Amino acid sequence: MIALAGRPVRWRRVGLWLLGWAGLGVAALAWQLAASLSHSALVPTFASAAAYAWHLLTGPVLSADLLPSVARVLVGFGISAAIGITVGLLVGYYRSPREWTAAVFDFFRSLPTPLLIPVALVLFGLGGTMVVAVIVSAAVWPVLINTANATAGLEPIVVDTARSLGLRGPRLLARVILPAVSPQIFAGLRVAISVSLAVLVVAEILGGGSGIGYYIENAQQSFQITGSYAGVLVLCLLGWMADSLFLLAERRLLAWQRGVVGGGDA
Amino acid sequence: MAGGVAVSIGIWELVSATGLANAQALASVSATAAAIGEHAGSLASAAGQTIEAWAAGLAIATAGGVSLGTLAGRSAVAEASTETLVRMMRPLPSLALIPIAILVAGLGLKMTAGLVAFTSFWPIFINTRYGVHQVGRLFLETARTLQMGRATLLGRVVLPAAAPLVASGLQVAVSLALVVTVSVELVGGTGGIGTYVLDAQQGNAVADMYAGIVVGGFVGWALNRGFAELARRVLPWANRLEAAS
Repeated sequence: MIALAGRPVRWRRVGLWLLGWAGLGVAALAWQLAASLSHSALVPTFASAAAYAWHLLTGPVLSADLLPSVARVLVGFGISAAIGITVGLLVGYYRSPREWTAAVFDFFRSLPTPLLIPVALVLFGLGGTMVVAVIVSAAVWPVLINTANATAGLEPIVVDTARSLGLRGPRLLARVILPAVSPQIFAGLRVAISVSLAVLVVAEILGGGSGIGYYIENAQQSFQITGSYAGVLVLCLLGWMADSLFLLAERRLLAWQRGVVGGGDA
Repeated sequence: MAGGVAVSIGIWELVSATGLANAQALASVSATAAAIGEHAGSLASAAGQTIEAWAAGLAIATAGGVSLGTLAGRSAVAEASTETLVRMMRPLPSLALIPIAILVAGLGLKMTAGLVAFTSFWPIFINTRYGVHQVGRLFLETARTLQMGRATLLGRVVLPAAAPLVASGLQVAVSLALVVTVSVELVGGTGGIGTYVLDAQQGNAVADMYAGIVVGGFVGWALNRGFAELARRVLPWANRLEAAS
Protein backbone atom coordinates (compact mmCIF):
# COMPACT_ATOMS: atom_id res chain seq x y z
CA MET A 1 0.00 0.00 0.00
CA ILE A 2 2.75 2.34 1.00
CA ALA A 3 4.80 1.47 -2.07
CA LEU A 4 1.84 2.13 -4.37
CA ALA A 5 1.06 5.47 -2.80
CA GLY A 6 4.73 6.46 -2.90
CA ARG A 7 4.95 8.15 -6.23
CA PRO A 8 2.22 10.76 -6.24
CA VAL A 9 3.00 11.58 -2.62
CA ARG A 10 6.64 12.13 -3.49
CA TRP A 11 5.80 14.45 -6.39
CA ARG A 12 3.45 16.38 -4.21
CA ARG A 13 6.19 16.79 -1.65
CA VAL A 14 8.63 18.03 -4.27
CA GLY A 15 6.01 20.55 -5.39
CA LEU A 16 5.45 21.82 -1.88
CA TRP A 17 9.18 22.02 -1.30
CA LEU A 18 9.65 24.10 -4.47
CA LEU A 19 6.82 26.32 -3.35
CA GLY A 20 8.66 26.91 -0.09
CA TRP A 21 11.74 28.14 -1.91
CA ALA A 22 9.58 30.24 -4.22
CA GLY A 23 8.12 31.91 -1.12
CA LEU A 24 11.63 32.69 0.07
CA GLY A 25 12.45 34.07 -3.38
CA VAL A 26 9.45 36.39 -3.24
CA ALA A 27 10.58 37.68 0.16
CA ALA A 28 14.08 38.33 -1.22
CA LEU A 29 12.61 40.09 -4.23
CA ALA A 30 10.46 42.28 -2.00
CA TRP A 31 13.57 43.25 -0.03
CA GLN A 32 15.45 44.00 -3.27
CA LEU A 33 12.63 46.21 -4.58
CA ALA A 34 12.10 48.03 -1.29
CA ALA A 35 15.83 48.72 -0.96
CA SER A 36 16.32 49.97 -4.48
CA LEU A 37 13.22 52.15 -4.29
CA SER A 38 14.15 53.70 -0.94
CA HIS A 39 17.74 54.61 -1.96
CA SER A 40 18.66 54.55 1.69
CA ALA A 41 22.28 54.08 2.68
CA LEU A 42 21.05 52.12 5.67
CA VAL A 43 19.27 49.44 3.66
CA PRO A 44 21.43 47.67 1.07
CA THR A 45 19.78 45.61 -1.64
CA PHE A 46 19.34 41.89 -1.15
CA ALA A 47 21.77 41.22 -4.00
CA SER A 48 24.59 43.21 -2.43
CA ALA A 49 23.95 41.72 1.02
CA ALA A 50 23.95 38.21 -0.46
CA ALA A 51 27.16 38.91 -2.38
CA TYR A 52 28.76 40.21 0.79
CA ALA A 53 27.55 37.12 2.66
CA TRP A 54 29.27 34.94 0.06
CA HIS A 55 32.40 36.98 0.60
CA LEU A 56 32.12 36.27 4.36
CA LEU A 57 31.68 32.57 3.80
CA THR A 58 34.72 32.31 1.53
CA GLY A 59 37.01 34.92 3.11
CA PRO A 60 39.04 35.17 6.31
CA VAL A 61 35.92 35.95 8.35
CA LEU A 62 35.02 32.27 8.09
CA SER A 63 37.84 31.11 10.34
CA ALA A 64 38.11 34.31 12.37
CA ASP A 65 34.48 34.69 13.40
CA LEU A 66 32.19 32.10 11.90
CA LEU A 67 33.87 28.89 13.00
CA PRO A 68 34.42 30.10 16.58
CA SER A 69 30.70 30.86 16.76
CA VAL A 70 29.79 27.43 15.44
CA ALA A 71 32.13 25.81 17.98
CA ARG A 72 30.62 27.84 20.84
CA VAL A 73 27.11 26.86 19.84
CA LEU A 74 28.05 23.19 19.56
CA VAL A 75 29.79 23.12 22.94
CA GLY A 76 27.08 25.14 24.67
CA PHE A 77 24.31 23.11 23.12
CA GLY A 78 26.06 19.83 23.98
CA ILE A 79 26.50 20.78 27.62
CA SER A 80 22.91 22.00 27.83
CA ALA A 81 21.62 18.76 26.32
CA ALA A 82 23.67 16.60 28.71
CA ILE A 83 22.64 18.54 31.82
CA GLY A 84 19.06 19.05 30.69
CA ILE A 85 18.38 15.40 29.87
CA THR A 86 20.09 14.02 32.99
CA VAL A 87 18.52 16.42 35.45
CA GLY A 88 15.21 16.30 33.60
CA LEU A 89 15.04 12.50 33.88
CA LEU A 90 15.91 12.57 37.59
CA VAL A 91 13.53 15.35 38.43
CA GLY A 92 10.80 13.83 36.31
CA TYR A 93 11.16 10.33 37.70
CA TYR A 94 11.43 11.09 41.41
CA ARG A 95 8.67 13.05 42.91
CA SER A 96 10.33 14.74 45.86
CA PRO A 97 13.18 16.44 43.94
CA ARG A 98 10.54 17.57 41.49
CA GLU A 99 8.53 19.26 44.19
CA TRP A 100 11.61 20.77 45.77
CA THR A 101 12.97 22.23 42.56
CA ALA A 102 9.72 23.27 40.87
CA ALA A 103 9.60 26.87 42.07
CA VAL A 104 13.33 27.46 41.60
CA PHE A 105 13.37 26.03 38.07
CA ASP A 106 10.27 28.04 37.28
CA PHE A 107 12.05 31.21 38.30
CA PHE A 108 15.21 30.52 36.31
CA ARG A 109 13.26 29.46 33.28
CA SER A 110 11.32 32.73 33.35
CA LEU A 111 14.40 34.85 33.94
CA PRO A 112 15.33 36.56 30.67
CA THR A 113 18.79 34.99 30.45
CA PRO A 114 20.59 37.81 28.64
CA LEU A 115 20.43 39.52 32.06
CA LEU A 116 23.06 36.99 33.17
CA ILE A 117 25.56 38.17 30.53
CA PRO A 118 26.99 40.85 32.85
CA VAL A 119 27.54 38.17 35.51
CA ALA A 120 29.22 35.91 32.97
CA LEU A 121 31.42 38.84 31.94
CA VAL A 122 32.58 39.27 35.54
CA LEU A 123 33.14 35.55 36.02
CA PHE A 124 34.80 34.63 32.74
CA GLY A 125 35.91 37.87 31.14
CA LEU A 126 35.68 38.43 27.39
CA GLY A 127 35.75 35.51 25.02
CA GLY A 128 34.54 32.03 24.25
CA THR A 129 34.08 30.63 27.76
CA MET A 130 31.77 33.49 28.67
CA VAL A 131 29.70 32.92 25.53
CA VAL A 132 29.42 29.19 26.17
CA ALA A 133 28.35 29.83 29.78
CA VAL A 134 25.64 32.20 28.60
CA ILE A 135 24.42 29.68 26.02
CA VAL A 136 24.19 26.94 28.65
CA SER A 137 22.34 29.20 31.08
CA ALA A 138 19.68 29.77 28.44
CA ALA A 139 19.52 26.52 26.45
CA VAL A 140 19.43 24.08 29.34
CA TRP A 141 15.87 25.03 30.33
CA PRO A 142 13.83 23.92 27.33
CA VAL A 143 15.59 20.52 27.41
CA LEU A 144 15.27 20.10 31.16
CA ILE A 145 11.64 21.16 31.38
CA ASN A 146 10.54 19.05 28.40
CA THR A 147 12.36 15.97 29.66
CA ALA A 148 11.03 16.38 33.19
CA ASN A 149 7.44 16.97 32.09
CA ALA A 150 7.49 14.00 29.73
CA THR A 151 9.03 11.70 32.33
CA ALA A 152 6.64 12.80 35.03
CA GLY A 153 3.74 12.36 32.62
CA LEU A 154 4.57 8.78 31.67
CA GLU A 155 1.67 6.37 32.12
CA PRO A 156 2.38 4.60 35.42
CA ILE A 157 1.33 1.36 33.76
CA VAL A 158 4.28 1.58 31.34
CA VAL A 159 6.82 1.79 34.13
CA ASP A 160 4.98 -0.72 36.30
CA THR A 161 4.78 -3.26 33.49
CA ALA A 162 8.49 -2.92 32.79
CA ARG A 163 9.22 -3.30 36.50
CA SER A 164 7.13 -6.40 36.85
CA LEU A 165 9.01 -7.84 33.88
CA GLY A 166 12.16 -7.38 35.89
CA LEU A 167 13.61 -4.23 34.35
CA ARG A 168 15.34 -2.06 36.91
CA GLY A 169 17.71 0.86 37.15
CA PRO A 170 19.75 1.73 34.06
CA ARG A 171 18.05 -0.89 31.91
CA LEU A 172 14.62 0.43 32.76
CA LEU A 173 15.90 3.87 31.88
CA ALA A 174 17.51 2.89 28.59
CA ARG A 175 14.87 0.44 27.37
CA VAL A 176 11.62 2.03 28.48
CA ILE A 177 11.78 5.54 29.84
CA LEU A 178 14.24 7.14 27.45
CA PRO A 179 12.53 5.83 24.29
CA ALA A 180 9.12 6.82 25.65
CA VAL A 181 10.12 10.42 26.33
CA SER A 182 12.47 10.86 23.36
CA PRO A 183 9.99 12.77 21.16
CA GLN A 184 9.58 15.44 23.83
CA ILE A 185 13.33 15.52 24.43
CA PHE A 186 13.81 16.16 20.72
CA ALA A 187 11.24 18.94 20.80
CA GLY A 188 13.13 20.51 23.68
CA LEU A 189 16.47 20.11 21.90
CA ARG A 190 15.09 21.80 18.81
CA VAL A 191 14.06 24.83 20.86
CA ALA A 192 17.45 24.74 22.58
CA ILE A 193 19.25 25.10 19.23
CA SER A 194 17.28 28.24 18.42
CA VAL A 195 17.88 29.63 21.87
CA SER A 196 21.62 28.85 21.62
CA LEU A 197 21.95 30.77 18.35
CA ALA A 198 19.97 33.70 19.71
CA VAL A 199 21.87 34.26 22.93
CA LEU A 200 25.16 33.50 21.16
CA VAL A 201 24.73 36.69 19.18
CA VAL A 202 23.88 38.90 22.15
CA ALA A 203 26.73 37.48 24.23
CA GLU A 204 29.17 38.03 21.37
CA ILE A 205 27.96 41.57 20.82
CA LEU A 206 28.52 42.38 24.47
CA GLY A 207 31.87 40.68 24.87
CA GLY A 208 32.66 37.79 22.59
CA GLY A 209 35.97 39.20 21.37
CA SER A 210 35.25 37.36 18.12
CA GLY A 211 32.37 35.54 16.48
CA ILE A 212 29.52 36.33 14.16
CA GLY A 213 27.72 38.56 16.68
CA TYR A 214 30.94 40.48 17.27
CA TYR A 215 31.36 40.79 13.50
CA ILE A 216 27.82 42.12 12.98
CA GLU A 217 28.25 44.70 15.74
CA ASN A 218 31.69 45.69 14.50
CA ALA A 219 30.53 46.13 10.92
CA GLN A 220 27.74 48.40 12.14
CA GLN A 221 30.12 50.49 14.25
CA SER A 222 32.50 50.96 11.33
CA PHE A 223 29.60 51.92 9.01
CA GLN A 224 29.90 48.80 6.90
CA ILE A 225 26.19 48.27 7.18
CA THR A 226 26.13 45.80 4.28
CA GLY A 227 28.47 43.65 6.35
CA SER A 228 25.96 43.59 9.21
CA TYR A 229 23.17 42.50 6.89
CA ALA A 230 25.44 39.87 5.39
CA GLY A 231 26.22 38.59 8.87
CA VAL A 232 22.52 38.24 9.61
CA LEU A 233 22.03 36.35 6.33
CA VAL A 234 24.85 33.97 7.22
CA LEU A 235 23.27 33.44 10.60
CA CYS A 236 19.90 32.68 8.98
CA LEU A 237 21.64 30.10 6.84
CA LEU A 238 23.36 28.62 9.88
CA GLY A 239 20.07 28.39 11.76
CA TRP A 240 18.37 26.79 8.82
CA MET A 241 21.15 24.25 8.43
CA ALA A 242 21.06 23.39 12.12
CA ASP A 243 17.30 23.00 12.06
CA SER A 244 17.37 20.85 8.90
CA LEU A 245 20.09 18.57 10.23
CA PHE A 246 18.11 18.28 13.38
CA LEU A 247 14.89 17.28 11.65
CA LEU A 248 16.83 14.74 9.62
CA ALA A 249 18.34 13.24 12.76
CA GLU A 250 14.95 13.18 14.42
CA ARG A 251 13.37 11.41 11.46
CA ARG A 252 16.14 8.81 11.50
CA LEU A 253 16.30 8.24 15.22
CA LEU A 254 12.60 8.36 15.89
CA ALA A 255 11.46 6.54 12.75
CA TRP A 256 10.19 3.60 14.81
CA GLN A 257 8.00 5.93 16.73
CA ARG A 258 5.77 7.14 13.91
CA GLY A 259 3.89 3.89 13.53
CA VAL A 260 3.51 3.43 17.27
CA VAL A 261 1.96 6.76 18.01
CA GLY A 262 -0.05 6.73 14.82
CA GLY A 263 0.88 10.22 13.69
CA GLY A 264 0.89 9.33 9.99
CA ASP A 265 -0.10 12.79 8.80
CA ALA A 266 3.00 14.59 10.04
CA MET B 1 7.95 24.17 47.22
CA ALA B 2 8.81 26.91 49.66
CA GLY B 3 11.41 24.53 51.03
CA GLY B 4 13.18 24.37 47.68
CA VAL B 5 13.29 28.15 47.46
CA ALA B 6 14.64 28.42 51.00
CA VAL B 7 17.36 25.84 50.29
CA SER B 8 18.42 27.65 47.10
CA ILE B 9 18.63 30.96 48.90
CA GLY B 10 20.62 29.20 51.62
CA ILE B 11 23.05 27.81 49.05
CA TRP B 12 23.38 31.23 47.47
CA GLU B 13 24.20 32.81 50.84
CA LEU B 14 26.61 30.00 51.71
CA VAL B 15 28.51 30.30 48.42
CA SER B 16 28.91 34.04 48.77
CA ALA B 17 29.75 33.91 52.51
CA THR B 18 32.43 31.23 52.15
CA GLY B 19 34.02 33.12 49.28
CA LEU B 20 33.67 30.16 46.93
CA ALA B 21 32.73 32.58 44.21
CA ASN B 22 34.56 35.78 43.43
CA ALA B 23 33.06 38.65 45.48
CA GLN B 24 33.09 40.69 42.27
CA ALA B 25 30.75 38.13 40.71
CA LEU B 26 28.37 37.24 43.51
CA ALA B 27 26.69 39.49 46.05
CA SER B 28 25.30 38.04 49.26
CA VAL B 29 21.59 37.57 49.70
CA SER B 30 21.36 40.28 52.33
CA ALA B 31 23.31 42.77 50.22
CA THR B 32 21.05 42.04 47.25
CA ALA B 33 17.93 42.44 49.38
CA ALA B 34 19.29 45.71 50.75
CA ALA B 35 20.01 46.92 47.22
CA ILE B 36 16.47 46.07 46.14
CA GLY B 37 15.09 48.03 49.10
CA GLU B 38 17.40 50.97 48.56
CA HIS B 39 16.80 51.34 44.84
CA ALA B 40 13.16 50.23 44.79
CA GLY B 41 12.13 53.37 42.94
CA SER B 42 14.59 53.16 40.08
CA LEU B 43 14.14 49.39 39.82
CA ALA B 44 10.39 49.82 39.54
CA SER B 45 10.71 52.45 36.84
CA ALA B 46 13.24 50.28 34.96
CA ALA B 47 10.84 47.33 35.17
CA GLY B 48 8.05 49.59 33.95
CA GLN B 49 10.07 50.65 30.92
CA THR B 50 10.86 47.05 30.10
CA ILE B 51 7.24 45.98 30.40
CA GLU B 52 6.08 48.89 28.26
CA ALA B 53 8.31 47.92 25.33
CA TRP B 54 7.44 44.26 25.85
CA ALA B 55 3.69 44.90 25.77
CA ALA B 56 3.82 47.17 22.71
CA GLY B 57 5.86 44.69 20.69
CA LEU B 58 3.85 41.68 21.77
CA ALA B 59 0.56 43.36 20.89
CA ILE B 60 1.71 44.04 17.33
CA ALA B 61 3.10 40.51 16.99
CA THR B 62 -0.13 38.95 18.23
CA ALA B 63 -2.32 40.90 15.84
CA GLY B 64 -0.07 40.12 12.89
CA GLY B 65 0.77 36.54 13.81
CA VAL B 66 -2.78 35.39 14.46
CA SER B 67 -4.30 37.01 11.37
CA LEU B 68 -1.56 36.00 8.92
CA GLY B 69 -1.23 32.58 10.51
CA THR B 70 -4.94 31.96 10.05
CA LEU B 71 -4.71 32.93 6.39
CA ALA B 72 -1.68 30.71 5.79
CA GLY B 73 -3.18 27.78 7.68
CA ARG B 74 -6.37 27.76 5.64
CA SER B 75 -4.62 27.08 2.34
CA ALA B 76 -2.13 24.36 1.52
CA VAL B 77 -0.40 26.58 -1.05
CA ALA B 78 0.02 29.48 1.37
CA GLU B 79 1.31 27.08 3.98
CA ALA B 80 3.88 25.53 1.66
CA SER B 81 5.10 28.84 0.32
CA THR B 82 5.78 30.21 3.78
CA GLU B 83 7.52 27.03 4.92
CA THR B 84 11.15 27.75 3.98
CA LEU B 85 10.90 31.32 5.21
CA VAL B 86 9.59 30.10 8.52
CA ARG B 87 12.33 27.49 8.77
CA MET B 88 14.92 30.22 8.38
CA MET B 89 13.25 32.59 10.79
CA ARG B 90 12.30 30.02 13.41
CA PRO B 91 15.83 29.56 14.76
CA LEU B 92 15.44 33.20 15.64
CA PRO B 93 18.50 35.06 14.49
CA SER B 94 16.42 38.16 15.14
CA LEU B 95 18.62 39.26 18.01
CA ALA B 96 21.35 39.71 15.41
CA LEU B 97 19.21 42.48 13.96
CA ILE B 98 19.76 44.64 17.05
CA PRO B 99 22.79 46.52 15.65
CA ILE B 100 20.98 47.09 12.34
CA ALA B 101 17.77 48.17 14.04
CA ILE B 102 19.69 50.66 16.17
CA LEU B 103 21.22 52.18 13.06
CA VAL B 104 18.06 52.21 10.96
CA ALA B 105 15.45 53.18 13.58
CA GLY B 106 17.60 54.86 16.23
CA LEU B 107 17.45 54.13 19.93
CA GLY B 108 14.06 54.27 21.53
CA LEU B 109 10.80 52.59 22.37
CA LYS B 110 9.75 52.33 18.72
CA MET B 111 12.85 50.41 17.74
CA THR B 112 12.63 48.09 20.73
CA ALA B 113 8.95 47.41 20.21
CA GLY B 114 9.50 46.87 16.49
CA LEU B 115 12.21 44.31 17.05
CA VAL B 116 10.18 42.60 19.77
CA ALA B 117 7.22 42.47 17.38
CA PHE B 118 9.32 41.02 14.56
CA THR B 119 10.81 38.31 16.76
CA SER B 120 7.69 37.23 18.61
CA PHE B 121 5.68 37.26 15.40
CA TRP B 122 7.21 33.92 14.32
CA PRO B 123 6.15 31.56 17.11
CA ILE B 124 2.64 33.04 17.04
CA PHE B 125 2.45 32.76 13.26
CA ILE B 126 3.85 29.22 13.20
CA ASN B 127 1.53 27.92 15.88
CA THR B 128 -1.55 29.63 14.49
CA ARG B 129 -0.79 28.30 11.03
CA TYR B 130 -0.37 24.81 12.40
CA GLY B 131 -3.38 25.09 14.70
CA VAL B 132 -5.66 26.21 11.88
CA HIS B 133 -4.20 23.59 9.55
CA GLN B 134 -4.89 20.68 11.89
CA VAL B 135 -8.50 21.48 12.69
CA GLY B 136 -10.16 18.09 12.36
CA ARG B 137 -11.84 17.23 9.10
CA LEU B 138 -14.78 15.98 11.13
CA PHE B 139 -15.28 19.45 12.57
CA LEU B 140 -15.10 21.09 9.17
CA GLU B 141 -17.44 18.62 7.50
CA THR B 142 -19.93 18.84 10.31
CA ALA B 143 -19.87 22.62 10.00
CA ARG B 144 -20.41 22.28 6.26
CA THR B 145 -23.44 20.07 6.69
CA LEU B 146 -24.79 22.65 9.11
CA GLN B 147 -24.34 25.13 6.25
CA MET B 148 -22.23 27.57 8.16
CA GLY B 149 -20.97 30.66 6.33
CA ARG B 150 -17.23 31.30 6.04
CA ALA B 151 -17.16 33.92 8.81
CA THR B 152 -19.18 31.77 11.19
CA LEU B 153 -16.99 28.79 10.37
CA LEU B 154 -13.88 30.80 11.18
CA GLY B 155 -15.24 32.35 14.36
CA ARG B 156 -17.18 29.42 15.76
CA VAL B 157 -15.18 26.39 14.62
CA VAL B 158 -11.70 27.05 13.26
CA LEU B 159 -10.41 29.62 15.73
CA PRO B 160 -11.75 27.95 18.88
CA ALA B 161 -10.30 24.63 17.72
CA ALA B 162 -6.95 26.27 16.93
CA ALA B 163 -6.93 28.37 20.10
CA PRO B 164 -4.99 25.95 22.33
CA LEU B 165 -2.11 25.87 19.83
CA VAL B 166 -2.32 29.63 19.32
CA ALA B 167 -2.10 29.99 23.09
CA SER B 168 1.01 27.85 23.30
CA GLY B 169 2.58 29.98 20.56
CA LEU B 170 1.70 33.06 22.58
CA GLN B 171 3.20 31.48 25.68
CA VAL B 172 6.51 31.12 23.82
CA ALA B 173 6.19 34.67 22.51
CA VAL B 174 5.60 36.07 26.00
CA SER B 175 9.02 34.96 27.23
CA LEU B 176 10.76 35.47 23.90
CA ALA B 177 9.55 39.08 23.77
CA LEU B 178 11.04 39.69 27.19
CA VAL B 179 14.38 38.19 26.12
CA VAL B 180 14.46 40.51 23.10
CA THR B 181 13.46 43.56 25.15
CA VAL B 182 16.18 42.92 27.70
CA SER B 183 18.76 42.20 24.99
CA VAL B 184 18.05 45.50 23.23
CA GLU B 185 18.35 47.27 26.56
CA LEU B 186 21.69 45.58 27.21
CA VAL B 187 23.14 46.34 23.79
CA GLY B 188 21.58 49.72 23.15
CA GLY B 189 21.51 51.14 26.68
CA THR B 190 17.93 52.30 26.16
CA GLY B 191 16.87 52.05 29.79
CA GLY B 192 14.87 49.33 31.48
CA ILE B 193 16.09 46.34 33.46
CA GLY B 194 18.76 45.31 30.94
CA THR B 195 20.48 48.68 31.05
CA TYR B 196 20.11 48.75 34.83
CA VAL B 197 21.99 45.46 35.20
CA LEU B 198 24.74 46.38 32.73
CA ASP B 199 25.25 49.81 34.31
CA ALA B 200 25.52 48.21 37.73
CA GLN B 201 28.11 45.75 36.46
CA GLN B 202 30.16 48.47 34.81
CA GLY B 203 29.99 50.54 37.98
CA ASN B 204 31.15 47.53 40.02
CA ALA B 205 27.93 47.62 42.04
CA VAL B 206 27.60 43.85 42.37
CA ALA B 207 24.64 43.90 44.77
CA ASP B 208 22.84 46.31 42.46
CA MET B 209 23.47 44.02 39.52
CA TYR B 210 21.88 41.11 41.39
CA ALA B 211 18.99 43.32 42.47
CA GLY B 212 18.30 43.99 38.78
CA ILE B 213 18.58 40.30 37.89
CA VAL B 214 16.21 39.24 40.66
CA VAL B 215 13.66 41.89 39.68
CA GLY B 216 14.00 40.87 36.02
CA GLY B 217 13.43 37.26 37.00
CA PHE B 218 10.30 38.15 38.90
CA VAL B 219 9.00 40.24 36.01
CA GLY B 220 9.52 37.26 33.70
CA TRP B 221 7.94 34.89 36.15
CA ALA B 222 4.91 37.12 36.69
CA LEU B 223 4.34 37.66 32.96
CA ASN B 224 4.64 33.93 32.22
CA ARG B 225 2.43 32.89 35.07
CA GLY B 226 -0.07 35.63 34.33
CA PHE B 227 -0.41 34.51 30.75
CA ALA B 228 -0.72 30.83 31.63
CA GLU B 229 -3.45 31.65 34.12
CA LEU B 230 -5.24 33.87 31.59
CA ALA B 231 -5.11 31.14 28.96
CA ARG B 232 -6.52 28.63 31.44
CA ARG B 233 -9.45 30.93 32.23
CA VAL B 234 -10.20 32.02 28.68
CA LEU B 235 -9.69 28.62 27.07
CA PRO B 236 -11.13 26.09 29.51
CA TRP B 237 -11.39 23.59 26.66
CA ALA B 238 -7.66 23.68 25.87
CA ASN B 239 -6.67 20.83 28.18
CA ARG B 240 -9.56 18.67 27.17
CA LEU B 241 -8.76 19.08 23.48
CA GLU B 242 -5.10 18.28 24.01
CA ALA B 243 -6.05 15.19 25.92
CA ALA B 244 -8.42 14.14 23.16
CA SER B 245 -6.11 14.60 20.20
